[in-house]
Amino acid sequence: MAGALIGLSMGLPWLGALLVWAVGDRRPRPQHALAVTSAILAALAALALMPLYQADAALRVNAGGVFGEFTFVPDGLGVFLAAVATVIGSLAVIFSVDYMRGAAQLGRYYALVLLFIGAMVGLVLTGSLLLLFIFWEMTALCSYALISFYNDDPKAVAGGIKALVMTQIGGVGLLAGALLTYAYLGDTQIETLLARGATLPSGVLAALAFGGLIAAAAKSAQVPFHTWLPGAMEAPSPVSALIHAATMVNAGVYLLARFYPLFSQVEGWTMAVTVVGLVSALLAALMATVAHDLKRALAYSTVSQLGYMVYAVGVGAIFASQFHLLSHAVFKALLFLAAGAVIHSAGTRDMRQMGGLGKQMPFTRTVFVIGALALAGVPILNGFWSKELILEHGLHDGPAWAYGGMLLGAGITALYTLRMTWLVFYGRPRCKGHVHDAGPAMRLATGVLAVGALSTWLLIGLFGELLEKSLPFHHLHVEAGLTLIEEIVTAGPTLLALGVVALGGLAWWYRANFGLAHDLLAPLGRAAAADFGFERLNTRVALATVRVAETLRTTQTGRLNWNVLGILGGLIAVLGVLAWGA
Amino acid sequence: MDTVEIVMIGAFALAGVGLYGLLVVRNLIKVVVSLQLLVKGVLLALVAAGKASGQVALGESLALTVVVADTVVAVIGLAVAVQVRRVSGTLDLKKLSNLRG
Amino acid sequence: MAYGFLMAGAVVCAVLAIRARQLIAAALWLAGSSALVALALYLLGAHQVAVIELSVGAGLVTVLFVFAISIAGDDALSKREFMPNGLAVGAVVTFCALLAWQALPLEARPTVTGAAPFQQVLWSDRALDVLVQLVLIFTGVLCVLGLLKETTAAATGNALQEVQAAASHSANGHRPAEPVAAERTGVEERA
Repeated sequence: MAGALIGLSMGLPWLGALLVWAVGDRRPRPQHALAVTSAILAALAALALMPLYQADAALRVNAGGVFGEFTFVPDGLGVFLAAVATVIGSLAVIFSVDYMRGAAQLGRYYALVLLFIGAMVGLVLTGSLLLLFIFWEMTALCSYALISFYNDDPKAVAGGIKALVMTQIGGVGLLAGALLTYAYLGDTQIETLLARGATLPSGVLAALAFGGLIAAAAKSAQVPFHTWLPGAMEAPSPVSALIHAATMVNAGVYLLARFYPLFSQVEGWTMAVTVVGLVSALLAALMATVAHDLKRALAYSTVSQLGYMVYAVGVGAIFASQFHLLSHAVFKALLFLAAGAVIHSAGTRDMRQMGGLGKQMPFTRTVFVIGALALAGVPILNGFWSKELILEHGLHDGPAWAYGGMLLGAGITALYTLRMTWLVFYGRPRCKGHVHDAGPAMRLATGVLAVGALSTWLLIGLFGELLEKSLPFHHLHVEAGLTLIEEIVTAGPTLLALGVVALGGLAWWYRANFGLAHDLLAPLGRAAAADFGFERLNTRVALATVRVAETLRTTQTGRLNWNVLGILGGLIAVLGVLAWGA
Repeated sequence: MDTVEIVMIGAFALAGVGLYGLLVVRNLIKVVVSLQLLVKGVLLALVAAGKASGQVALGESLALTVVVADTVVAVIGLAVAVQVRRVSGTLDLKKLSNLRG
Repeated sequence: MAYGFLMAGAVVCAVLAIRARQLIAAALWLAGSSALVALALYLLGAHQVAVIELSVGAGLVTVLFVFAISIAGDDALSKREFMPNGLAVGAVVTFCALLAWQALPLEARPTVTGAAPFQQVLWSDRALDVLVQLVLIFTGVLCVLGLLKETTAAATGNALQEVQAAASHSANGHRPAEPVAAERTGVEERA
């Protein structure tokens, strides 16, 4: 039963992708209907899978000697993330019905989105390192293709290529890890690696651990690999909500959490993870404070919140990091979709040209405010519970200076969130032209997500139980839901954090009075706007790559016969080496 | 010489003729013919290797997969050739190369 | 002994196929070579694959070639070649010689006893291969459908339809163009 549901939740989106392509672009209404139906059915299959969680593989495909078995394990971590991927996926597809109305090449769009949803479900449910690599690459491919969806726009194409190149560095590391595991342990199953990984020679284990960290940092846009995420905002807003907020960027954090029991044994790894999380959280929060583009600010905010999750893994709070992943997926997707509705009607992404839109778009304003409150960590909303849990664990288990930094980050988060909301929805209207509120499909998608932001924290007990019972290597001990809630509410760090958040909010409100502080911090603001020098470094690397490519281009003469001669020459060289060595 | 060795030499010779074809032909359809010859050589080599190590069945299964793949390649190659003829009016490789280094 | 004749025949047919002046002749020599290879496979003990190679390689592929040649036209082939004949022959002979030198004393290779019959090997040990073959065939069908979908007459008809549809959309209001325009005119802080 579990195996069939796993197959359905992966196979239904793929089947939908094929059917949407086959229906053709001349009939958009069946395309919209097919996409929504397959996404919703996949979500239902993934939700039905949740009560059937178990720690052993539910679906096994024997792939012969070298590849081992392709297994799918519906353990607590996997089923929750699969449910997140499919549910938010279906909401993004519903949103696209209004957003992409009348767009060209709709078949390509829906096929890629559905392909991505299936691949994401496979990524979190698989128990084989090789399949993990294959699904990782599939999500990267769909992400690239969707970022460059408007492929006659050079900015979109450049953004897509940058995203692809940066995340591929990590992907190669994953393949190397899978092959190393096979070479040393004879098997490519994740559970083999976790059980017997300690027997690997320490150099190999360290290479695996830090390689995994680099792969995860590249995929989750952590410093220093964070520059691709703001460039990925050229994608249509539903894609930004689904891929670059709720699912694909979480794959890196998922990787870290999945392999934590093994990699934490490598010396210095947990400290490195903590530092990466801390630096990303702080730097990205600063960059979000000075951003003018609404989606760019949200992108930096995503990097910052992912930094919180990575920091939580670094201090050992796996449950807290995954719980924050769940909350973040919901409220960030909500923010992106609502921002998409705003951009769709206002016709611009620049916040300096928006303002006072709240009166003309009351529904969108309400859901955006709910999402913003969740992001800032205001009580009752899901962001509050998960962020407090992370900070509490950070204080107990991690270094104090890291905790201080994350606390400061929480304050800056509140600052930029209030700034974003204020610039767009309140204040003096600066927008020219008429804006209308969101259409019915957009309202449905954002409304469901807003309800989620108010309520997913109630699942804390259930989630903890799933994780504890089905992850044998992690040795998690999560108390019951009510105990956790009580603990969070009465802990000292919670009040401290709330105070900082309030300070952040007040700093924006009374910003006119902060003249001196403003002048002092202006250089910091300028550095933040220039991406702290990472963008220039990136551009240099990209230019160098392009120059090498241009030089190598002369070998492409276009004459088939000479190319075949080249292949033959290579074969002769290989044979020569073999003959010489024999 | 052993029969299996004769077959191996024949397989290498066939593959060689196929490679020679890929190097010298100018017509797109002849490229597909050369590819087919190359794959025939591979087939023979696989089955002969299987016979030499006693596992004919394994060599056969691999050869079967290669036959399927090769047929699909031939089909797609010929479809491409037909379309190229329709669009550009020629099958001559020299006139078709747009990449120019 | 029979093997020697079969191999020699196959190689001769192959050379004639490459050298043929007309494409139909090339296809027919290819069919001859396939038939001889299939016979050799049968004599080696691979019965199933021999039959498949005969029907597919000598039958199906030849029919495909005849179809394609009749549609694409049998142009007179130019004699001047791309690269010096000597260079091509030299490279190929080097390659084959190296291969033969590496692979050849075959009796030194270890043998495995107790091999399984063909059905078991194909369907249980190499089950993934069967899956891969299915995927390949499916992909091939999709490719061919995509390649041969529109002929030039139908293409101009579609283009006309799309232009009309776009015109009526833009007449209805600015909404359809908006998501495209809005996403693209976002303020760019970096080039």
